[in-house]
Amino acid sequence: MIQMHAFYVFLAVAGLLIVIFIYVASSTGHARDIDVHAAYGVRTKFFYVLLAVLVIGLGMTLGKTPYPRNNEIPDKVVFVVGKQFSFGLSDSPITNDEEYEARTYATPVQVPLNSLVEFRVTSFDVNHGFSVYSPENHLIAQTQAMPGYVNRLRVRFTEPGRYTVLCLELCGMGHHRMRGVFEVK
Amino acid sequence: MDVPATAAPLLSEAETLRFRRMTVIWGITVLLLLPILAALGYFMRLYQSAAFPKVKPEWFYAVLTLHSLGMVGTWFVGSMAGVSYLLLKYTRPSLAVSKFNYWGTLLGVVLLIVCTLGGLFGTGWYFLYPLPLYSQHIWSPLTTFTFFVALAILGICWTIWTLDILRAIAQRYSLAAALGWNYLVGKPGTEVPPLVLITTVTLIVAVSGFVAAVIVIALFAARALGVNVDALLMKNLTFFFGHVLVNITMYLGVAMVYELLPTYAGRPWKTNRVVAIAWDAVLFLILFAYFHHLYMDFAQPTWVQKFGQICSYLLSVPAGVVSIFGTLLLVYASKMKWTFASMLFFLGIMGWGVGGIAAVIDSTVAVNFHFHNTLWVPAHFHTYYLMGVVLIVLGFIDHVGKELSGLPENPLRSKWTVALLLIGGYGFVSMFYWAGAHSVPRRYAVYPLEVAQGTLYARVAVGFITVLLAGILLYLWETGKRCLKALASI
Repeated sequence: MIQMHAFYVFLAVAGLLIVIFIYVASSTGHARDIDVHAAYGVRTKFFYVLLAVLVIGLGMTLGKTPYPRNNEIPDKVVFVVGKQFSFGLSDSPITNDEEYEARTYATPVQVPLNSLVEFRVTSFDVNHGFSVYSPENHLIAQTQAMPGYVNRLRVRFTEPGRYTVLCLELCGMGHHRMRGVFEVK
Repeated sequence: MDVPATAAPLLSEAETLRFRRMTVIWGITVLLLLPILAALGYFMRLYQSAAFPKVKPEWFYAVLTLHSLGMVGTWFVGSMAGVSYLLLKYTRPSLAVSKFNYWGTLLGVVLLIVCTLGGLFGTGWYFLYPLPLYSQHIWSPLTTFTFFVALAILGICWTIWTLDILRAIAQRYSLAAALGWNYLVGKPGTEVPPLVLITTVTLIVAVSGFVAAVIVIALFAARALGVNVDALLMKNLTFFFGHVLVNITMYLGVAMVYELLPTYAGRPWKTNRVVAIAWDAVLFLILFAYFHHLYMDFAQPTWVQKFGQICSYLLSVPAGVVSIFGTLLLVYASKMKWTFASMLFFLGIMGWGVGGIAAVIDSTVAVNFHFHNTLWVPAHFHTYYLMGVVLIVLGFIDHVGKELSGLPENPLRSKWTVALLLIGGYGFVSMFYWAGAHSVPRRYAVYPLEVAQGTLYARVAVGFITVLLAGILLYLWETGKRCLKALASI
């Protein structure tokens, strides 16, 4: 799970920083003059190391953005509308409130396993967060549902089961109750 | 030091005394607001622990709104008051503007309390368009109107305050000098203290943020008159404003550390070419780093998102290489006088660094895809806020209180207070990190079945907050005494 990897990277780097702060604080018990020019030399090295880490980090991650690529054609399209306080998901476009209402009570949309699915996500009122939780309840993908815009989220599901959609953008008093559901088969 | 020919005289002794008194009043106000706003945060984590099953969730969202706006505003005015006080050594800020701001801020805060606790206005700090207009009958249109009046009052006051400090700096330093450009070309001439350089950079950015806020309020008004407003434009403006306000508060805190920590370490911390380059780079990078708040808005052009990640990454360079490294270099093997204030300054910079690491990780688009609007986000901003700028401002208030009252500190009690703040504070944020890594959403009054583990994490957090509150109360007792004595003696 990418979240846990990020968590451990954070723990390691933050832990190192805290150790350095403790070391520096304890050094004041043995006060002495320091060579400022030598310290500036350390700073220069630190600058290049940090820059190298950041450039490597950018190189490793900038190509892995979740945004749709034009050279990919989705195998299936799911239309999504967010509205206080439910998501309507459908195989065909949802164009008005009646269609939205009908979809919130309909049987869950089904999407094929190992296929590239495109969710076309919009909102009929305020901003919502269209956030897909796996059957194990891990947040695996998300995009915003915005009034006046259609955000295209593409996901390839490699695990069958019932997926839940939670709202991750504060949308009012029923925000925590807002949900949608679809099945991967 | 060459003093520019246009230099204005500094404040007279009587004016300085009045300014000091005003600073102590700001400090005491911050000390009064701190436990109230912290208690609101305590309430939220208790609510998420399912401690109040009979209280309606609209109360949670209203308290969330007041807590977040209140905290950001409190530490902004606290750091502005601190920087103004320290600038007295070099410039001549207006006491009248500070007083005007005090009463304006109080009025704005009272209106915000009325809107949230009275009117249950619950949009979060960012009142994201068009949510204030879709209340589901929880809050009234009058409440929405009053909320924007409160924001307008605060915005006007803080813009005037910002412009006044920039005016005071401009009276003594040219723009090029205040931005450290003389150091860049190798002809320093007039010595520019880091406090002046950082404050100038920060407040120029602040003005741009306040302008964005004004446009947001104006566009809400336009929408009320029937004009169609673009949701993505509003989101960009709102997050630009919010991002700027939080970051400038942090930078003002860092500016205070540049000015005060050397007095405890017994070593100078001066502007040089590297410091000038670093802070000028911040001026540029901070304006574009805010894109990381909109990564999940796929309608935003992809190159903008990637540029946001690049700027967010690069922002860590001046912070890490110059300010954090500089702090460590200043303290390393020095004859450091460890007092309550100096410990808080040092630990505040550490908290800024720790929170910054988590923020940089989250500013990676591919990672944000899994972290956006989970509890990882409040994790990192509480780290660099609560364990960063809050500690610095608390350190500043204690520093001033001690300086003006002459009351000595009890070293043992200081160490206990710091220990409670550290254990409670880092324990509290660690539950946010852990919950974020386990996909628990932020801003949820109640955790549904899929993320039910959030309730358990909230309960553990409540224990740590209790420790944190004990530290805050000890701090208030100690520093509050000094501030009250200082106020009585000026």
